[in-house]
Amino acid sequence: MMIPDRFDPVDPATQPVVPIPGYPNTVTRNPSRPPFRRVLTRTELTGPLDLSGKLRPGDDNLAVLAPGRMAQGQLIHVGGRVLDEDGRPVAGAIVELWQANAGGRYFHPIDTRDAPLDPDFIGNGRTRSDSAGRFAFFTIKPGAYPVPNSGRWWRPPHIHISVLGPGSLMRLVTQMYFPGDPLNAIDRILNSVPDAAARARCIAGFVSPEAVEGDWQGFTHDLVLRGRHATPPL
Amino acid sequence: MTPRPNAPLLPTAWATIGPFFPQTFFRDGDNDLTRLTPDAPPTAQGAPMWLTGRVLQEGGGPCVNAVLEAWQADAAGRFRHPRDPDWRLADPGFHFWGRAWTDAEGRFAFRTVIPGGYRDAAGPRAPHINLAIIGSGIMGRLATTVFLPGFAEAHAVDPVLAALPAALRPLLVAAEDGAGPDGAPRFALDLLLRGDPARETPFFED
Ligand SMILES: [Fe+3]
Repeated sequence: MMIPDRFDPVDPATQPVVPIPGYPNTVTRNPSRPPFRRVLTRTELTGPLDLSGKLRPGDDNLAVLAPGRMAQGQLIHVGGRVLDEDGRPVAGAIVELWQANAGGRYFHPIDTRDAPLDPDFIGNGRTRSDSAGRFAFFTIKPGAYPVPNSGRWWRPPHIHISVLGPGSLMRLVTQMYFPGDPLNAIDRILNSVPDAAARARCIAGFVSPEAVEGDWQGFTHDLVLRGRHATPPL
Repeated sequence: MTPRPNAPLLPTAWATIGPFFPQTFFRDGDNDLTRLTPDAPPTAQGAPMWLTGRVLQEGGGPCVNAVLEAWQADAAGRFRHPRDPDWRLADPGFHFWGRAWTDAEGRFAFRTVIPGGYRDAAGPRAPHINLAIIGSGIMGRLATTVFLPGFAEAHAVDPVLAALPAALRPLLVAAEDGAGPDGAPRFALDLLLRGDPARETPFFED
């Protein structure tokens, strides 16, 4: 396994600017003080190398709840690589993913919006990157959803992704968007990232049907845990 | 008019937008650093302890549905990681990492062992537990470090505590809080994400 030995500072232009209008938690939960710079000691430079005893991988198909119980929606395959700041593959990273159903509703007690629930879709999974840093999920394309009390803001279809790399400084929580959706350009969360190139790294690539095996629409999405080309945290 | 099956409730400040971290990501035992798996025996090394507290947002209300992740040294101050020169001597029965979940009152709990201090190139580290906080409205994560009472001499020379103005350092030192359900000592620290500058938890860049 590749053990990280270098951690470039994070480029502020790749970091979201808060608060975000219509998103009250960004007002009440973000510190009023800028974070303090600290020396990096062993606690920061080390991190969990194997979490599979606690966070068990092996749940990479969200579209099939049980034999014969398939979720509603467009079947998709999302594949990509977990990379470090130098573009080297990160093996053994835990990749967790959660999303709304095809109607734009989360299977979660906090999501009480009046949109359909799908009895065959829970919408979360967990896998582990392989020796080449690759990960993949089978799922359905999530629906867009309106944000209550936000002044007509709709979240574009997106998948929440959490990555635990082999170091405390390689922890990423982000969102993956779909290419070509008209809501992307006006999403307040995506637009909270000042740097356009960094925003573009949050949008998945479309895979030509000829390059996909099986009846899934293919998307590709790399996750860069750190450095100049880091995937923005969202 | 007949009631709709999933008619919206009036959204409260915290309920209006996700991310809705799935509760299935959190299982019993994930917050217990003393075990390698939820059903493994606890490590034989070190003194067990609990770290508890609440995550609070501006106004002092609870930050529900937040995820906390802990990372710390074993009882002898070692990490099972090649960047620790003594990693081969690290406690084989300790998990070093754990994940907890805040309840409706914003409460969290970790079961662990009292971490050992260690000598780092940057200076002598007092016993401490690094925490990452993830939740709706927190873009990415917030990182901080919790220290334990009873190590005042070590705190005075810890290079990470030294990064803070002296007046803020006590905000990262947990308080004695009796004992947990198994009799192990409990230490408590509330994490105020935003609020009165004299009480707001200091967070670190990384
Ligand atoms: Fe969402």
